[in-house]
Amino acid sequence: MDIRSEVVSVLDEVLSLKGRATAFSLDTPLLGALPELDSMAVVALITNLEERFGFCVDDDEIDGSVFASLASLIDFVHRKLGS
Amino acid sequence: MALEAFFLPATPGQRFALLHWPERACEVGGAVVYVPPFAEELNKSRRMAALQARAMAAAGYAVLQIDLLGCGDSSNDLVDASWEAWLADVQLACTWLQQRTGAPLWLWGHRTGCLLANEAANRMQCVVDQLFWQPVLSGKQYLQQFLRLRLAAELAGGDGRRVMELLRQQLRQGQPVEVAGYMLSSGLAGGLEKAELLLPHRSGRVEWIEVSNRPDAGLSAAAVARLTQWQAAGQEVRGTVVGGPAFWQTSEITECNALVQASLLAMQRAPAP
Repeated sequence: MDIRSEVVSVLDEVLSLKGRATAFSLDTPLLGALPELDSMAVVALITNLEERFGFCVDDDEIDGSVFASLASLIDFVHRKLGS
Repeated sequence: MALEAFFLPATPGQRFALLHWPERACEVGGAVVYVPPFAEELNKSRRMAALQARAMAAAGYAVLQIDLLGCGDSSNDLVDASWEAWLADVQLACTWLQQRTGAPLWLWGHRTGCLLANEAANRMQCVVDQLFWQPVLSGKQYLQQFLRLRLAAELAGGDGRRVMELLRQQLRQGQPVEVAGYMLSSGLAGGLEKAELLLPHRSGRVEWIEVSNRPDAGLSAAAVARLTQWQAAGQEVRGTVVGGPAFWQTSEITECNALVQASLLAMQRAPAP
């Protein structure tokens, strides 16, 4: 499974970015930089990542730094998958 | 197709209701009560619910949508709502619609609305068919996701990590909590937390539809497990996946026409032998 493209596709769908997410680079800032990423979208993003990758996120794992950039979000998914 | 907007007398107060009716009233082939999702998911899915209600009416169904207690234009505020009061509202809507038409009854639930519909169906004296849109299986898990909205709102700064603990503490103490502009009473939170999508006792068939944007999508693993369990217990249930956006949670209001068509098809096809 290509984790980066899966994460990008979840981002694009949840935030209604209409394909803009495919142009994101690893250091594209997310939280605080993307107006679409409000609290609703953060929760939807977590739920969708849980469903897409089949892991379970604990409350205390949810931290601003996870959503800082595309790279940090992908890192988080890698950590959760234990790879 | 005829559209009627009115208030249904209820206890307490009244409920705002929308009735879609087929062009030729004598041709009502089914009576459908829509049971809406919760909070922001309700707002995000209003357009899809309206599109579906119109499509159902055009296909010969009478469709009743009501705003539950404390929601939309119905009486009181959300903080006054309880799970039991919402179940009573679903029952009220069913009774009212059945007085208008003797056509077979369908409960059409969306997200947590499926939890309410399924419980309401269990309490009914008559057989009722159910249409589920992306059902929530566990009220407990849903409540956690809802409370996380507060956590997410405080991510940018503040002490996010203690937020969940504080919210749960407040609810345990019987106090309401405010999440994303919604005032949730401890009673409603408790009712939601206990709700589980369990095997229907008295339902006719259940048509279970999920929406996914992935081209190769199948039903979610959780749905497959539940469907298999119900089928083994003799419940008639069919699962379907359609392609489209998760319109109940996307940032923009989005549509999923495939879902409208799939829902009609699911309702109209003959029951499995």
